[in-house]
Amino acid sequence: MLEAAASEVLLKKPGLVVGARKSWAIAVKDMKIYYFKPAILIFGALFPVTIFFAFMMGRNVEAVTLFPGLIALTLFFSTTTVAPFSIPWERMTRTFERLLFAPVSLTELALGKTISSLVFGLVMSIVPLLIGVIFFGSDVAYVWALVLGIVLGNACISNLGTLVSTVGSETPQNVMLLLNLIRLPMMFISGIFIPINELPTWGRVISWFSPVSYVVDLLRRGLGFKDYFGPVTSSLMLVAFGLAMFAVSVWRMKGWNK
Amino acid sequence: MTGDTAGEAAIYARGLTKYFDSLLAVDHISFSIEQGELFGFLGPNGAGKTTTIRIFMNLTRSSEGTATVYGMDTVRDTLALKSVVGIVPEVSNVFPEITARSNLTFTGALYGMGRRESASRAVELLGMFGLEEHGGKKAGQLSLGLKRRLAIAMSMVHRPKVLFLDEPTSGLDVTASRSIREIVKRLNSEGVTFFLTTHNMEEANQLCDRIAVINRGKIIAVDTPGKLRRAASEAQSVEVTLNRRPTAVEEAGLAGIDGVTGVAEAGESYRLLTADPERTLRSLFRFLEAGDLAVSAVSTPGPTLEDVFVKLTSEEQDVGSGS
Ligand SMILES: Nc1ncnc2c1ncn2[C@@H]1O[C@H](COP(=O)(O)OP(=O)(O)OP(=O)(O)O)[C@@H](O)[C@H]1O
Ligand SMILES: [Mg+2]
Repeated sequence: MLEAAASEVLLKKPGLVVGARKSWAIAVKDMKIYYFKPAILIFGALFPVTIFFAFMMGRNVEAVTLFPGLIALTLFFSTTTVAPFSIPWERMTRTFERLLFAPVSLTELALGKTISSLVFGLVMSIVPLLIGVIFFGSDVAYVWALVLGIVLGNACISNLGTLVSTVGSETPQNVMLLLNLIRLPMMFISGIFIPINELPTWGRVISWFSPVSYVVDLLRRGLGFKDYFGPVTSSLMLVAFGLAMFAVSVWRMKGWNK
Repeated sequence: MTGDTAGEAAIYARGLTKYFDSLLAVDHISFSIEQGELFGFLGPNGAGKTTTIRIFMNLTRSSEGTATVYGMDTVRDTLALKSVVGIVPEVSNVFPEITARSNLTFTGALYGMGRRESASRAVELLGMFGLEEHGGKKAGQLSLGLKRRLAIAMSMVHRPKVLFLDEPTSGLDVTASRSIREIVKRLNSEGVTFFLTTHNMEEANQLCDRIAVINRGKIIAVDTPGKLRRAASEAQSVEVTLNRRPTAVEEAGLAGIDGVTGVAEAGESYRLLTADPERTLRSLFRFLEAGDLAVSAVSTPGPTLEDVFVKLTSEEQDVGSGS
């Protein structure tokens, strides 16, 4: 009878729905645990806003032109903060193994972690958008471009956080350090402060390698500014970057059972 | 031993080996555990017990050999295997930030249980482990023993057919240990197969159908607790309590008694290790008559599992490896 039970389990294909529910359960647990930790709020919300105003202070530009960059920067930081905190933290406290005791594949696990990051990013990136529209008269020229920018942007960039937490060492501090070492230079090659088409040639070439560039591009289109890559290229690049970073994250996690 | 092929056995290992770089943590171990068996893994610190369990859960990859549960390979069929196996790890790694109850329902969700199902299972398990009053507390605020109980409860959410328990009763008080042992026995009588590691000889003796003694990564004996004790027949002893402390000369005399292979002080009394208690007893009385020492108590206790353990692990001889 036990053999029968075992073979029954073997036969039962882990359906996509069941898998998605496991990922969602992991994401919801992380939302409950991590969203209100001070470190997350500081690095994910306060940090980008502060940086943005520090750089834009004293520049003689119309406020409304700042919003694509501000929204993109907030999105970039907020969506890459939860997983790089939760993954090394849980590995250090060994609760990460809890997730591996259960029949949860690494794909489902990484997806859960990414979802918890991207939902945080979604919520956070809508805040500056609303502020822009309500108080500064930002013009929503193309809703679809804004939706694509925010949704695809979060779905893609959140994987950068997951990826970094599979590269760095096991302590949250080290992963956060590495993350910021990557995030800070990326800000400058993504058209956040200066539109890409105003950059010198080398700057325009480098910007192709930052997925954040495509978020900025879609947001610029959405808010009625001139874009550089165009929505099709941007969307495809975000999908490609997202899938690639996700795949590498899962592959890195496979090496953890040394 | 029955169940010698991977397919028949509930838990099976053949030539299982683990190197951590150059350190040989598990050294070609083989065993085969039948369905419904309660198998003990007994060994000193660093023997390789935890590593063995971690290989079964695919938390650590073996360097050589095979490990299966109901024929499911730990690496190839890891997800199917995990859905019938439960584990209580060495450290109670519960999620400290959420409540005891949420720990249980979240675990249920990881096994694909619906919300209702996992909620009612949580209530059931909180009751079973005497955690009713603590269900609403953050798990991080529970005492060590309560956390341990929660960790054990979490291993059973999905009603596993096979349970790996890594020192389940460490950190528990006497009452809690006993109730855990009772739960283990009851589940075992319902057909659940157990693999449990322990340092506690008495626990192994009381609970286990068979015990494997492991030392420095090698299994040095596998047998029933009774047979293991008999195997160490040289480890019999005569225990005497004397009317006063013997002098150094008298102590040397005790060691010189016929058949005595060693003397150990055991509290008030002396333990004379011997393979032949009868001969030793006769010689002991001759020795006492010759001097002015008197006996206030004497007994001939059989070898305890502890004696067996100490003997086997100190000799490091290979008594065969389990199949
Ligand atoms: N991740 C690791 N990296 C390197 N060495 C390890 C690792 N895990 C265990 N070891 C080593 O492997 C050996 C076996 O360790 P293991 O934890 O399996 O012992 P154990 O029998 O469970 O001991 P204990 O009774 O203390 O829990 C030890 O020498 C230990 O130092
Ligand atoms: Mg151990």
